[in-house]
Amino acid sequence: MAHQLAIENAHITADVVEVSEFIDLAQRYQVQGVPKTVINDRAEFTGALPEPRFIQEVLKALQQKPEKKQ
Amino acid sequence: MPLISPEDRRTLETLFAQELQDDVTITYFTQRESVMTVRGQECATCKDTRELLEEVTAISEKLHLHVKDFVRDEQEAQRLGITHIPAFILQGHARGTVRFFGSPAGYEFSTLIEDLLDVSKGTTTLNEKTREALSKVDQDLHIQVFVTPT
Repeated sequence: MAHQLAIENAHITADVVEVSEFIDLAQRYQVQGVPKTVINDRAEFTGALPEPRFIQEVLKALQQKPEKKQ
Repeated sequence: MPLISPEDRRTLETLFAQELQDDVTITYFTQRESVMTVRGQECATCKDTRELLEEVTAISEKLHLHVKDFVRDEQEAQRLGITHIPAFILQGHARGTVRFFGSPAGYEFSTLIEDLLDVSKGTTTLNEKTREALSKVDQDLHIQVFVTPT
Protein backbone atom coordinates (compact mmCIF):
# COMPACT_ATOMS: atom_id res chain seq x y z
CA MET A 1 0.00 0.00 0.00
CA ALA A 2 2.94 2.32 0.66
CA HIS A 3 3.87 2.07 -3.02
CA GLN A 4 0.33 2.96 -4.03
CA LEU A 5 0.52 6.11 -1.94
CA ALA A 6 3.80 7.05 -3.64
CA ILE A 7 2.32 6.43 -7.07
CA GLU A 8 -0.49 8.87 -6.25
CA ASN A 9 1.43 11.56 -4.33
CA ALA A 10 4.62 13.35 -5.43
CA HIS A 11 5.74 14.01 -1.86
CA ILE A 12 6.00 10.33 -0.98
CA THR A 13 8.99 8.04 -1.32
CA ALA A 14 8.06 4.45 -0.52
CA ASP A 15 10.50 1.61 -0.06
CA VAL A 16 9.80 -2.08 0.28
CA VAL A 17 12.81 -3.53 2.09
CA GLU A 18 13.44 -7.27 2.14
CA VAL A 19 14.86 -7.25 5.60
CA SER A 20 16.54 -10.66 5.66
CA GLU A 21 18.94 -9.33 3.01
CA PHE A 22 19.85 -6.21 5.00
CA ILE A 23 20.61 -7.20 8.56
CA ASP A 24 22.02 -3.74 9.33
CA LEU A 25 18.66 -2.15 8.50
CA ALA A 26 16.80 -4.79 10.52
CA GLN A 27 18.93 -3.89 13.51
CA ARG A 28 18.78 -0.14 13.00
CA TYR A 29 14.98 -0.16 12.78
CA GLN A 30 14.59 -2.95 15.35
CA VAL A 31 12.49 -5.10 13.06
CA GLN A 32 11.13 -7.97 15.12
CA GLY A 33 7.91 -8.59 13.22
CA VAL A 34 6.82 -7.99 9.64
CA PRO A 35 5.50 -6.10 7.89
CA LYS A 36 6.97 -3.23 9.87
CA THR A 37 6.35 0.28 8.58
CA VAL A 38 8.56 3.23 9.49
CA ILE A 39 7.57 6.75 8.45
CA ASN A 40 10.18 9.52 8.32
CA ASP A 41 12.29 7.54 10.78
CA ARG A 42 10.01 8.60 13.65
CA ALA A 43 6.62 6.89 13.45
CA GLU A 44 6.27 3.15 13.19
CA PHE A 45 3.83 0.27 13.43
CA THR A 46 3.98 -3.47 12.93
CA GLY A 47 1.40 -5.53 11.07
CA ALA A 48 -0.65 -5.12 7.92
CA LEU A 49 -3.20 -2.35 8.49
CA PRO A 50 -6.38 -1.88 6.47
CA GLU A 51 -6.31 1.09 4.10
CA PRO A 52 -8.14 3.64 6.33
CA ARG A 53 -5.85 2.88 9.30
CA PHE A 54 -2.71 2.98 7.18
CA ILE A 55 -3.47 6.45 5.78
CA GLN A 56 -4.38 7.62 9.29
CA GLU A 57 -0.93 6.58 10.52
CA VAL A 58 0.66 8.39 7.59
CA LEU A 59 -1.23 11.62 8.37
CA LYS A 60 -0.37 11.28 12.05
CA ALA A 61 3.33 11.01 11.19
CA LEU A 62 3.00 14.15 9.09
CA GLN A 63 1.86 16.11 12.12
CA GLN A 64 4.73 14.91 14.33
CA LYS A 65 7.58 17.37 14.50
CA PRO A 66 11.09 16.07 14.08
CA GLU A 67 12.95 15.64 17.35
CA LYS A 68 14.94 18.72 18.27
CA LYS A 69 18.63 18.32 17.90
CA GLN A 70 20.59 18.97 21.09
CA MET B 1 16.35 -22.62 -16.05
CA PRO B 2 14.03 -19.61 -15.93
CA LEU B 3 12.90 -18.29 -12.57
CA ILE B 4 9.39 -17.64 -13.88
CA SER B 5 7.59 -20.84 -14.86
CA PRO B 6 6.11 -21.11 -18.40
CA GLU B 7 2.62 -21.09 -16.87
CA ASP B 8 3.25 -17.91 -14.86
CA ARG B 9 4.86 -16.33 -17.89
CA ARG B 10 1.72 -16.96 -19.96
CA THR B 11 -0.44 -15.50 -17.19
CA LEU B 12 1.77 -12.40 -17.06
CA GLU B 13 1.74 -12.06 -20.85
CA THR B 14 -2.05 -11.88 -20.82
CA LEU B 15 -2.13 -9.55 -17.81
CA PHE B 16 0.47 -7.16 -19.24
CA ALA B 17 -1.20 -7.13 -22.67
CA GLN B 18 -4.51 -6.15 -21.06
CA GLU B 19 -3.40 -3.90 -18.24
CA LEU B 20 -0.11 -2.16 -19.05
CA GLN B 21 -0.93 1.29 -20.37
CA ASP B 22 2.36 3.14 -20.91
CA ASP B 23 6.04 2.28 -20.60
CA VAL B 24 7.68 1.54 -17.26
CA THR B 25 11.43 1.56 -16.70
CA ILE B 26 13.08 -0.41 -13.93
CA THR B 27 16.48 1.01 -13.00
CA TYR B 28 18.31 -1.73 -11.18
CA PHE B 29 21.46 -1.23 -9.12
CA THR B 30 23.73 -4.21 -8.67
CA GLN B 31 27.41 -4.97 -8.46
CA ARG B 32 29.74 -6.35 -11.09
CA GLU B 33 29.36 -10.09 -11.14
CA SER B 34 32.62 -11.94 -10.85
CA VAL B 35 33.81 -15.44 -10.09
CA MET B 36 35.60 -13.92 -7.12
CA THR B 37 33.84 -12.16 -4.30
CA VAL B 38 35.40 -9.79 -1.84
CA ARG B 39 34.70 -10.88 1.70
CA GLY B 40 32.21 -8.50 3.28
CA GLN B 41 31.06 -7.22 -0.11
CA GLU B 42 29.07 -10.18 -1.37
CA CYS B 43 25.66 -9.50 -2.80
CA ALA B 44 23.99 -12.86 -2.39
CA THR B 45 20.83 -12.04 -4.33
CA CYS B 46 22.09 -9.55 -6.96
CA LYS B 47 22.38 -12.14 -9.74
CA ASP B 48 18.98 -13.76 -9.09
CA THR B 49 17.30 -10.36 -8.80
CA ARG B 50 18.77 -9.26 -12.15
CA GLU B 51 17.65 -12.50 -13.81
CA LEU B 52 14.14 -12.15 -12.39
CA LEU B 53 13.87 -8.54 -13.57
CA GLU B 54 15.22 -9.52 -17.01
CA GLU B 55 12.57 -12.22 -17.29
CA VAL B 56 9.75 -9.91 -16.19
CA THR B 57 10.73 -7.05 -18.50
CA ALA B 58 11.15 -9.47 -21.44
CA ILE B 59 7.44 -10.30 -21.25
CA SER B 60 6.24 -6.92 -22.53
CA GLU B 61 7.70 -4.33 -24.90
CA LYS B 62 6.38 -1.67 -22.53
CA LEU B 63 8.75 -2.77 -19.78
CA HIS B 64 12.39 -1.70 -19.82
CA LEU B 65 15.31 -2.63 -17.61
CA HIS B 66 18.36 -0.43 -17.06
CA VAL B 67 21.12 -2.17 -15.13
CA LYS B 68 23.47 0.11 -13.19
CA ASP B 69 26.59 -0.58 -11.19
CA PHE B 70 26.31 0.58 -7.60
CA VAL B 71 29.99 1.61 -7.54
CA ARG B 72 30.54 2.89 -11.08
CA ASP B 73 27.20 4.73 -11.18
CA GLU B 74 27.57 6.06 -7.65
CA GLN B 75 26.26 9.55 -8.43
CA GLU B 76 23.06 8.23 -9.97
CA ALA B 77 22.62 5.83 -7.05
CA GLN B 78 22.95 8.75 -4.63
CA ARG B 79 20.52 10.88 -6.62
CA LEU B 80 17.94 8.09 -6.51
CA GLY B 81 18.56 7.33 -2.83
CA ILE B 82 19.93 3.84 -3.45
CA THR B 83 21.92 3.02 -0.33
CA HIS B 84 21.96 -0.78 -0.48
CA ILE B 85 21.95 -3.40 -3.24
CA PRO B 86 20.20 -5.15 -4.82
CA ALA B 87 17.75 -2.29 -5.29
CA PHE B 88 15.60 -0.88 -8.05
CA ILE B 89 13.27 1.99 -8.77
CA LEU B 90 10.17 2.00 -10.97
CA GLN B 91 9.74 4.98 -13.29
CA GLY B 92 6.77 5.78 -15.45
CA HIS B 93 3.69 7.65 -14.27
CA ALA B 94 4.43 7.43 -10.52
CA ARG B 95 4.17 10.89 -8.97
CA GLY B 96 6.38 9.96 -6.02
CA THR B 97 9.24 7.48 -5.71
CA VAL B 98 8.72 3.71 -5.75
CA ARG B 99 11.72 1.62 -4.71
CA PHE B 100 12.49 -1.99 -3.80
CA PHE B 101 15.49 -3.02 -1.71
CA GLY B 102 16.24 -6.72 -1.96
CA SER B 103 14.92 -9.42 -4.23
CA PRO B 104 11.18 -9.28 -4.98
CA ALA B 105 10.65 -12.95 -4.27
CA GLY B 106 7.62 -14.66 -2.74
CA TYR B 107 4.75 -12.34 -1.90
CA GLU B 108 6.73 -9.29 -3.01
CA PHE B 109 6.68 -10.59 -6.57
CA SER B 110 2.92 -9.88 -6.61
CA THR B 111 3.63 -6.41 -5.23
CA LEU B 112 6.09 -5.81 -8.08
CA ILE B 113 3.57 -6.91 -10.72
CA GLU B 114 0.80 -4.71 -9.24
CA ASP B 115 3.23 -1.79 -9.03
CA LEU B 116 4.23 -2.19 -12.69
CA LEU B 117 0.57 -1.98 -13.73
CA ASP B 118 -0.10 1.02 -11.46
CA VAL B 119 3.04 2.90 -12.53
CA SER B 120 2.13 2.32 -16.19
CA LYS B 121 -1.21 4.02 -15.56
CA GLY B 122 -0.37 6.53 -12.83
CA THR B 123 -3.38 5.38 -10.84
CA THR B 124 -4.00 2.76 -8.17
CA THR B 125 -6.90 0.92 -6.56
CA LEU B 126 -6.86 3.17 -3.48
CA ASN B 127 -10.39 4.14 -2.55
CA GLU B 128 -11.78 7.68 -2.75
CA LYS B 129 -11.57 8.33 1.00
CA THR B 130 -7.91 7.34 1.05
CA ARG B 131 -7.22 9.59 -1.95
CA GLU B 132 -8.92 12.48 -0.19
CA ALA B 133 -6.80 11.93 2.93
CA LEU B 134 -3.70 11.51 0.79
CA SER B 135 -4.24 14.92 -0.80
CA LYS B 136 -3.41 16.40 2.64
CA VAL B 137 0.15 15.11 2.37
CA ASP B 138 1.98 18.25 1.26
CA GLN B 139 5.40 17.60 2.83
CA ASP B 140 7.99 15.03 1.92
CA LEU B 141 7.38 11.66 3.52
CA HIS B 142 9.60 8.60 3.50
CA ILE B 143 7.73 5.35 4.13
CA GLN B 144 9.76 2.17 4.60
CA VAL B 145 8.01 -1.17 4.77
CA PHE B 146 10.16 -4.01 6.04
CA VAL B 147 9.13 -7.45 4.82
CA THR B 148 10.46 -11.00 4.65
CA PRO B 149 10.11 -13.43 1.74
CA THR B 150 7.09 -15.63 2.39
